[in-house]
Amino acid sequence: MSYSCAEVGMADQTVIVRDLTVRFGDFTAVDRISFEVGRGEIFGFLGANGAGKTTTIRVLCGLLVPSEGFVKVAGTGFEQGDRVIKTKVGYMSQKFTLYNDLTVEENLSFIASLRKLDTRRYVEKRKELLEFISFDRPLGTPVRDLPGGTKQQVSLAAALLHDPEVVFLDEPTAGVTPASRNLFWKLIRKLSAAGKTVFVTTHYMDEAEQCGRIALMREGRIIALDTPENLKRVVFPGAVFEFDPKTPLSFAEVAAIEHLDLFTFFEPYGLRFHAAIREGKDWDRARPELERKFTIRKIEPSLEDVFIKTVEGKKR
Amino acid sequence: MRLFWNRAGAVARKEVFHILRDPFALAAALGLPVLMVIIFGVSIEFNMKDIPLAVNDADQTRSSRMLLDRFASSGYFGVRRVVSPQQGIAELTDQKARAALVIPPDFESELISGRQGQLQLLIDGSDNSTVGPVSNYVNRIVGAGAPALYDLRARYLFNPELDSRWFVIPGLTVVIMAILSILLTALTIAREWENGSMELLLSTPVRPVEIIVGKLAPYGVLGVIAIAFVYVIARAVFQIPFVGNLAVFGLGSLLFLVTYLAQGLLISVVARNQQVAMQLAMVTGMLPSNLISGFIFPIESMPAFFQYLTMLLPARWFMRIARDTFLQGSGLIELKVPFLALTFLCFAMIFLATRKFKRDLEP
Repeated sequence: MSYSCAEVGMADQTVIVRDLTVRFGDFTAVDRISFEVGRGEIFGFLGANGAGKTTTIRVLCGLLVPSEGFVKVAGTGFEQGDRVIKTKVGYMSQKFTLYNDLTVEENLSFIASLRKLDTRRYVEKRKELLEFISFDRPLGTPVRDLPGGTKQQVSLAAALLHDPEVVFLDEPTAGVTPASRNLFWKLIRKLSAAGKTVFVTTHYMDEAEQCGRIALMREGRIIALDTPENLKRVVFPGAVFEFDPKTPLSFAEVAAIEHLDLFTFFEPYGLRFHAAIREGKDWDRARPELERKFTIRKIEPSLEDVFIKTVEGKKR
Repeated sequence: MRLFWNRAGAVARKEVFHILRDPFALAAALGLPVLMVIIFGVSIEFNMKDIPLAVNDADQTRSSRMLLDRFASSGYFGVRRVVSPQQGIAELTDQKARAALVIPPDFESELISGRQGQLQLLIDGSDNSTVGPVSNYVNRIVGAGAPALYDLRARYLFNPELDSRWFVIPGLTVVIMAILSILLTALTIAREWENGSMELLLSTPVRPVEIIVGKLAPYGVLGVIAIAFVYVIARAVFQIPFVGNLAVFGLGSLLFLVTYLAQGLLISVVARNQQVAMQLAMVTGMLPSNLISGFIFPIESMPAFFQYLTMLLPARWFMRIARDTFLQGSGLIELKVPFLALTFLCFAMIFLATRKFKRDLEP
């Protein structure tokens, strides 16, 4: 074999990040993170507000110059200048960034001009993208008259006008209806199927489940990165149970159970509790006692459990 | 180069849509200057008429009455008789008179015996702006009665009747356009930061200079239209003569507008917040162009440091261009220093706004 594995891997990665650090004064927003994203992958970024997700995305879009580290996006990096990066990637901010007082057509043609698309190419692309998002209103509709979900979809179309290899979507579905969220994720999967790399941040666990791989971020660092299935397996190697209280429990009762030392994890999940059993503990002997208070059943851990255990659990 | 104009043109076109979709702002941009010129043009008047003058005539002779007749018939003064000098001072403190004239009992007998007639004038010094005209008028009236040593004939060139509107309105144009143009642009970039669209702009390969030029162009046109309105008002309503070359005035207006528009953009780029931008625009646009541009207070009487400081003020240069083209008919040759200074300031301001334009999105 004449190629090393690393080289073969590099060729297929659209995003390569090595030891990326971003500081704002004394504050380190992103702290030496490294990861790679493959072509056509849906890559999710999960973390609390202020974990560094948006900062990372902004660096990858050429909007923020990294303090340290190496970044390569769609074959370019900051050595070529941020403007070259900007021609290769699409970016949809978590804020709604289109002009509300302009029409859909005016917004799109404005962005097309900034991105140097000639008229013919723009008209083709506009038709293709509006079909892609199933936009069925007049082009002259002012953006402010569109419902929230449609606005997001038009934003997505605007980010795709120049046919970028990678699209960065920063909380694209924040504040829209569940139906619009589903629709938006259908679009994301279609993009990925068409060979585009989609990089998405989200707060919603059900959305994170749909990503090929997820990076969990906390305080500027990636603390876990894998497929949703692997994350669950690694974080919860043993069985996970759902505890459904038969009668409402007092705080003291819950606290007493939490301190049993029987569990590595015992967290509320709605009105119920999810728990992971500590290895080597005699679960079979403890179970009948607990079943007097709870209905207990074995479950697959959710991504939310993973998130709570890895991201929030470490704060304690 | 073609690409530059494409992008700047796209920004300009988008800006035109914004302007047209906001009829209130458009009406304000075009209507306010006209309204302000009319209001201030009517109200600012340096020539004083019917100044209340308290007179204590202790002489009560033909000579003193002749003198008082001249005061009364001059039109400058309204004579209020008082019985004592003390009462004259009381009139001053009660704001019933601006000045008090005391004619002593021996006024006529001194004149008859060939000596100078003594007069005392008390002026309210707490209002500096009236002191000059008052003593000036008094001297003129009193002097006309005395035999003169020299025959001085003064003529007022360019403004023969010393109509203060001729002086005020071209200057007022400058002040109003300075405020308007700085406000027009001060909010535009700050607004893009506030509503998030700046992220969209910055995520494309657009250059700061393309955004700056694209934003300057439509507001420049708007400003020129506003200045044309003001010009028409000055000529038609206030009958101000315009003896200069309209093209020279137009070129000066354009340079001046673009300079202040660019200053507005610079403020906007730095402030990133409409409220802060608004306040900065008021402080840097309105106050200096009013107070140290030579609009009312002559630059020559400022301390040397401030005279130099005003050179950085575009309003100072356009003040000269506006007044000289209106009243003196100066051309480009006579006005080469103001024009060069304005051109320099214009490019400097565009350069600064472009340089300060941050392309990264620090929180």
